[in-house]
Amino acid sequence: MITPQRNRRQTAIRLFAREYYESSLPDGGAGEFDPRFIVTKLGARVNRMIVAGVIERLELRETERGPMYSGAVRDPTGLHMWSVGSFKPELHAEMEELLARFDKGDRFLMTCIGKASHYTNDDGSMFCRMQMEDYAIIDRDVYACWLVETADHTMRRIEALGKAQAAEDTSAEALRDAEVPEDLIDGLGLALNHYGEWDAEGYKVGVLQALNAAEGRVTSFEEHEAAESQTVAETAAETSPEPAESTAEPANTADVEAVVLEVITGNAGEDGIDYDTIMKYCAKKGLTDEASIEDAIDCLRDDKCEIMEPRFGWFKPM
Amino acid sequence: MTTTEEFANEIRAVKEAVPDADETSIAEEFARYRDDFLIPPKEALRSVLKKFQTEAGLEVTAPASTGRPAGKTVERFSELGADDTNVTIEVEVVTYTPRMQMVRGEERQIAFGWIEDNPWQEGGERTRWDFKDWGGQAESLSPGSVVRLEGVTVNEWNGKRSININQGSRIAVLRAGGRAVVIAPSEPVSISRLQTMDGFATVVARVISATPRTVDKRDGSGTLDMVKGRLADDTGTIGFACFGTFDHPVGTLLKIESAAIRRFRDNPELNIGERTKVEVYHDGAFASLEELEESSVVAIEGLRDGAVDVTAVVQLTSWGSRTFTGQDGVEKTVWGGDAVDPTGTCRLTAWTELPLDESSIPVAVRLSNVRVRAWQGTPDLTVDRVEQVTVLDSIPWEEIDPTSHAVSVGFSELMGGGSRSGVTSEATVVSVAAGSGIIHRCPECRKAMRDGACRDHGPQAGVEDLRLRIILDDGLANGALILGRDPAEAFLGQTMAEVLKATESDGGEAFLVDLRTRMIGRRYQFAGRAIIDGQGALIMADSFSVAETNPVEEAGEVRKRWGVFA
Repeated sequence: MITPQRNRRQTAIRLFAREYYESSLPDGGAGEFDPRFIVTKLGARVNRMIVAGVIERLELRETERGPMYSGAVRDPTGLHMWSVGSFKPELHAEMEELLARFDKGDRFLMTCIGKASHYTNDDGSMFCRMQMEDYAIIDRDVYACWLVETADHTMRRIEALGKAQAAEDTSAEALRDAEVPEDLIDGLGLALNHYGEWDAEGYKVGVLQALNAAEGRVTSFEEHEAAESQTVAETAAETSPEPAESTAEPANTADVEAVVLEVITGNAGEDGIDYDTIMKYCAKKGLTDEASIEDAIDCLRDDKCEIMEPRFGWFKPM
Repeated sequence: MTTTEEFANEIRAVKEAVPDADETSIAEEFARYRDDFLIPPKEALRSVLKKFQTEAGLEVTAPASTGRPAGKTVERFSELGADDTNVTIEVEVVTYTPRMQMVRGEERQIAFGWIEDNPWQEGGERTRWDFKDWGGQAESLSPGSVVRLEGVTVNEWNGKRSININQGSRIAVLRAGGRAVVIAPSEPVSISRLQTMDGFATVVARVISATPRTVDKRDGSGTLDMVKGRLADDTGTIGFACFGTFDHPVGTLLKIESAAIRRFRDNPELNIGERTKVEVYHDGAFASLEELEESSVVAIEGLRDGAVDVTAVVQLTSWGSRTFTGQDGVEKTVWGGDAVDPTGTCRLTAWTELPLDESSIPVAVRLSNVRVRAWQGTPDLTVDRVEQVTVLDSIPWEEIDPTSHAVSVGFSELMGGGSRSGVTSEATVVSVAAGSGIIHRCPECRKAMRDGACRDHGPQAGVEDLRLRIILDDGLANGALILGRDPAEAFLGQTMAEVLKATESDGGEAFLVDLRTRMIGRRYQFAGRAIIDGQGALIMADSFSVAETNPVEEAGEVRKRWGVFA
């Protein structure tokens, strides 16, 4: 392969929202013309991307550099946030039209192509979003094709991650010997060093939901989990006569939920209470597992409808 | 069950927040999210809730951000957690071992070694950790030096923690060390891997051809003796050039250390220079000369512009000759025709008469030691001497009909290989370039003009033409596709005159918007030829149409491929 030219076009990575917004590793961009990337936990080096989903948000913002549009589409794993900057005036007329439709309550499926970008808050936290280059309103079939293709590419990366995790070390040679595909070697080397050990099972669930959706079987994460744990429980029941252990888990979950609900109802102000503060209160009460607290919040919000999220990251009792 | 019953729980949740919302509309919205947008009711709840809140005038404020931890400055390794990033710490470098490896197609040096914390306290207790240097910081990290590492990351592997020095990390040398660092020699690589590399490499391979040549020096100061030839292993072959003595006969197995990889057109070549070490190698299991020669027969898909010493078997589908007057005023004849094999189509050109004529068609020929040139993406096998060609008694495959011969190729495979013609493939449209539609060509050179002027011939009254330029992408590779006038008219279902009329009023703006709306994000298939070079890929399409898709079937294939079943 010839050394890539500076101006060679970057391929559009297919990825679900969750893989992208969970990324925290920028790469490249050292020189003025060097492309910048976001490296995901699955080792995708994202410069250009193609995403799709139902429009969830769209608004006009006035900035110092002129108007910009900020929007989001939802796929089975979460929200893809994008913006159309003031330097993309050719799309503004169309965005204005979309905004009018959106404000009237119209919802539609979109595919969006754009460049990965990120910004860092004062506290050092990083957020990934997309600068839109182009888009189209699509129908269900085109969306289903994107879901399948993105599921395929995500599984390819999950599989490569497994091979990379089994490699001797994170060097390119070792990853190549472990049969990691050539296009993922650099990204996975960086990802393994940055993100450390983790389990890609959550991403696999996203793949399953996407495939189910593309096949017209629309299931939620919880329904999927429930079906899964049921099968596990059934298998457990078949193999062991005393399924004692499996009952411990739900009781525990209920405890976490109770604590989280107590924290939210006891401390929510006018605007509610923010995520970090909930974590702090929970820690004081002896709960430190962020994942289970987050699950509890999601469950209280989406299933039991005991709390609501008036704005992102802020919660108050219903 | 009616939709209001089906979504009873969700309706209750929405009505708690927006008491005045209409139940039927809520149910319709949930049904729409499930059936049209493929989002289950539980996950649609927030979106639907927000929609009804907004409609009811209950304003929802803009999102606020949640946080992640910032940088961390520590004195001892023991203060670090497994997930710490953006760490600052002062350490002493104990060892620094560089290693060459390929990163993004470039040979780069990375390194690993040991560092110790608490570097300033004489005789104090120190902890030693491994580190890896991805940032090429050899100069700052010589053993014995004390440095401050900024923006480094903690890595945990099998319970053992280490430090990663990333490309963005900074290093301040606080006390210089002693020894310098040497570059490590590289391990042997296979020839197939060599073909994707740049820089220096080591290879173990057998000589399958070697011809001494004399070339003129570039500065005109005389001639230079050299040897050109080919090396092979069981993964492929590669040409080599040796300036200096090369007395290894065909069949010798060699280990060649630190040879430079040079490129001529699309062809990598191994340069054996002064710094290269060549030695006879012994390996009884290595493929024999006969095996390597047989496997070095190249299919049309594998032909690369600039290749020499190529062995190929092709079926001729046309043959003829033409005469022309050369630069020296002498009349010359050149013979040529089209050729196919099961992997594609190409041209065959002969500068000497071959024992063939039109009546021999169809016929298969075996070509040895021929060279390859390419013209606009179509490879051309060039025969210089009659003994390079053997006419075969029979075609080694079922006779190919050239009029319908288009080989189906995976898109990224096509983009990642060499130029090919007679192929068909499919990928998603990610952009319709602004220059699509009516363009004006220079009447003298046919180049597309810009702002009423040709780059070479200045302002002109241009000749109108129709052209579409589309970017295709399959997630692994991308390329530009050009639809000339005829295939563009067929694709649009419009003649150029109709397109001209439609674009008259606004300069084609609406035409382009319409194309983008129709095409972006959808998969299309094409047939034609692909011109691949260092600048990227260009597809000259003869036909272009929406690809047939079946998401349910494709989802089944994806499940099978990766073993994901619900």
